[in-house]
Amino acid sequence: MKRLAALLATVALLAVAEPLPSPLHDEDIPRILAFGPWPPPLQPDPSNRVWGQPAAIDFGRTLFHTPALSANGRIACASCHQAASGFSDGLPRGVGLARGDRNTLALHDLDLQRWFGWDGANDNLWAQSLRPLLDAREMGGSLASVAATVRDTPALRQGYTAAFGQPPGPDDERVAVDVAKALAAWQATLRSGRTPFDEFRDAVARGDREAAARYPQAAQRGLALFLGRGRCYTCHLGPSFSNGEFHDLGLPHFAEPGRVDPGRHGGIRKLLLSRYNLLGPFNDDPTRSTATPTVHVALEHRHYGEFKVPSLRNLRLSAPYFHDGSAATLREVLRHYSELNEERLHADGEKLLVPLRLSPQETEDLLAFLDSLNDTP
Amino acid sequence: MRQWLLAAALAGGAASAWACGESLGAGRQTLAADGWQVAWRAAPSPVPVGKHFALDIALCAPAGQALPATLRVDATMPEHKHGMNYRPSVQARGAGLFRAEGLMFHMPGRWELVFEWRDAAGTPRRQSQALTVQ
Repeated sequence: MKRLAALLATVALLAVAEPLPSPLHDEDIPRILAFGPWPPPLQPDPSNRVWGQPAAIDFGRTLFHTPALSANGRIACASCHQAASGFSDGLPRGVGLARGDRNTLALHDLDLQRWFGWDGANDNLWAQSLRPLLDAREMGGSLASVAATVRDTPALRQGYTAAFGQPPGPDDERVAVDVAKALAAWQATLRSGRTPFDEFRDAVARGDREAAARYPQAAQRGLALFLGRGRCYTCHLGPSFSNGEFHDLGLPHFAEPGRVDPGRHGGIRKLLLSRYNLLGPFNDDPTRSTATPTVHVALEHRHYGEFKVPSLRNLRLSAPYFHDGSAATLREVLRHYSELNEERLHADGEKLLVPLRLSPQETEDLLAFLDSLNDTP
Repeated sequence: MRQWLLAAALAGGAASAWACGESLGAGRQTLAADGWQVAWRAAPSPVPVGKHFALDIALCAPAGQALPATLRVDATMPEHKHGMNYRPSVQARGAGLFRAEGLMFHMPGRWELVFEWRDAAGTPRRQSQALTVQ
């Protein structure tokens, strides 16, 4: 306890030792520390019996990059999840066989997620990996076509056999789910790297004034705003900078004129109907040890128009932003929060979001902070 | 605090407040009103933000009154006018002991933890506790 007090006292000195008065306060320290440490160890997924197995990871990497699983033989997972774009595609809305309703989510740190997709319609990574294979607007396959492709393509058949210890059997659904589990095994390894913020956070943790002072002042001011008046911390918390849940940001509710995107409300409905959720027959964990969220998730009217709180790590590569890709840049994201249209928020919804009315300097500071969450210079 | 709990307990003709939920061990918190007491302990403790947690609960009735077979547990964030995104399940374990699972506070701030039940006469009973999580 004495050691902790000494540490905090040392850290508190940061505020007065800086050339410029530090905008951060002692009460910010626990919150700053809670953004790490980074990277955390990979979290096992007991619902996927091949999680962490090298042969399955190799097979998953191959599957991710092959177009053979799509209906027209030309679209791979990697077509929309491009490594150079943070495993996103740079488009406002994903385009597979047809244009989708939502922005393509970046793929990293997936083992830390509770729900998958902007609406959280899946509670595990392998179900989320199966979805685009079968979606008519994405890869347009079927359980039968996916299974047949794996059986009939020598390299895929060999990869399946290595990953699962036996060649693909006659049950199409079983083979397709196994394909998704191999895809998940590979994607779960995509851990984002350490960032300038992580260096600052660790310096704060060990009371290293000199190292902490190297974190740019603009980023410190942005962090103070993030934790303070901006209230960003309310949803963007923890090592992933996300609470893993869903919120209404006052964005337009229409996927296209006349058609509403129900967001989380639709996601929960899909989840509960899915054969591939953690309560279903394909969970490899007989104890259902990770199914608590699915058992208890509540479907309520307020979930209409709510979308997932994304991680804020590595945002630089994954523009555009928001579930509908309506913000081309992070500056536009901040403008949204600055000029928020409160009439678009549900009348009975959260009284949390108010227009921030950011000054130009505050906008620059928040951008500096967000930029410090990238793992590449 | 201990004297206040004792006074509240005696006013309701119940067992002493610190005896209620003794089996929950150290770290339990106790609410008392109208002779009823609710003792609870979170697992994990302290309650984390953005992660599921469970509650072990002991409900103690005033002397001579029967314990209910069921108990309802919920939580809301009054300032934000919303509840949890999850509906907890509550399992009765006998002798006034319950286990609530599936709770999650998805935001930091002030939450109100609510316990509701009906007494033997069918009268609704409610006790709540404010919790600030960071």
